[in-house]
Amino acid sequence: MAEQISTPRITSQYLDAFTGKTVIITGKVTQTRGDTALIDSEGVVTVLLNRDSHLKPGNAVEIVGKVNQDLTVKVLMATDMGTNLDYAAVNAVVDATHRYKEIFYTE
Amino acid sequence: MSMYYYGYNAGGYTTTSYGAQGGADGGGFLGGSQAGSQDTPGGTKRYGQDTLRPVTIKQLLDAVFPYPDAEAKVDGTSLTQVDLVGRVSTVSAQATNTTYKIDDGTGVIEVKQWVDGDAPPELQKYTPKEGDYVHVWGKLKEFNNRRHVGSHVIHPITDFNEISYHLLHATAVHLYFTRGPLGGANGAAVKSEGQGMFVDGGYGATNGAPGAVGKKLPPRISPIARKVYEFLQSTPQNNEGLHVHNISHQLNIPANEVFKAGDELLGEGLIYTTLDDETWAVLEY
Repeated sequence: MAEQISTPRITSQYLDAFTGKTVIITGKVTQTRGDTALIDSEGVVTVLLNRDSHLKPGNAVEIVGKVNQDLTVKVLMATDMGTNLDYAAVNAVVDATHRYKEIFYTE
Repeated sequence: MSMYYYGYNAGGYTTTSYGAQGGADGGGFLGGSQAGSQDTPGGTKRYGQDTLRPVTIKQLLDAVFPYPDAEAKVDGTSLTQVDLVGRVSTVSAQATNTTYKIDDGTGVIEVKQWVDGDAPPELQKYTPKEGDYVHVWGKLKEFNNRRHVGSHVIHPITDFNEISYHLLHATAVHLYFTRGPLGGANGAAVKSEGQGMFVDGGYGATNGAPGAVGKKLPPRISPIARKVYEFLQSTPQNNEGLHVHNISHQLNIPANEVFKAGDELLGEGLIYTTLDDETWAVLEY
């Protein structure tokens, strides 16, 4: 049987329910300064960058990262998703994944 | 009952009375016919055997194989072809195929792509790299308790909205099979549960006139049968109901499809025959 590891998709509102967990946050890069950046995902998320992550302000980004106790997110992987991302669809996915967990996540 | 098969026969291949309209791939035929006859107690009819279903990887890992070599089932419905979207986490090239581990956030599954060494360079398939987001079309297989997807097509994702759309599509299809289609009298209730955003033209449209009165039909009723039922409900008629050819003509659906729909509705006790076997009225109680 294949390993079953799920990485929940969340927005900023879900952060406190996922401390210590690896999650996926898709949002818009609003600011980068040094090794942190701010992402808009129905609210502001502070992410701690790694060396490989090159975030472009104004672009969409998908962050796979770990939620710290202070609700910042340590980036494990960041994927630039350009300027044409439909954030309403992204947020609808997050809503669907938490509403219909049975096809998305094992708890 | 014989009318029921005409549409398929016209398609150029014969059908068996087992309800197996051919496998997706040649080798699947026997398995498919067994699934049709054994796993549908009560003779539930299975129309349109071949499906292409959008899924999450978790659904594939949770899928049930009724017996070895059978088609897997998700939400009680057989999977033939599936499509999934995810990120390639590892690539391992082997002699006859390349195996990719694909992760869509809900789970990880292996996808195998056959190597076609003879293909000329300009026809060489796209070969995913680690980190790529891909859209995979294929078939779920299980060997020695290990599951993989045998891929027919792998496309790179260039518009990342495809990820959102795929996951929403998979959710909509999951809800379709577990709760029944949206629309009709049912639609309003569903919307009030906050699922309004899943209104999908494909399902909504098959339900005919919005706001049509009527009770909720069971989820297993096919879209065409729903259309026929709503037409019977909404069309002025005397107590003799409507004739099949009349329904067929007005809805612009072939008569054999209407017969199939009628068989479903008659089987569920939703309509009854009046003057003859081909004239139906809604059973109200």
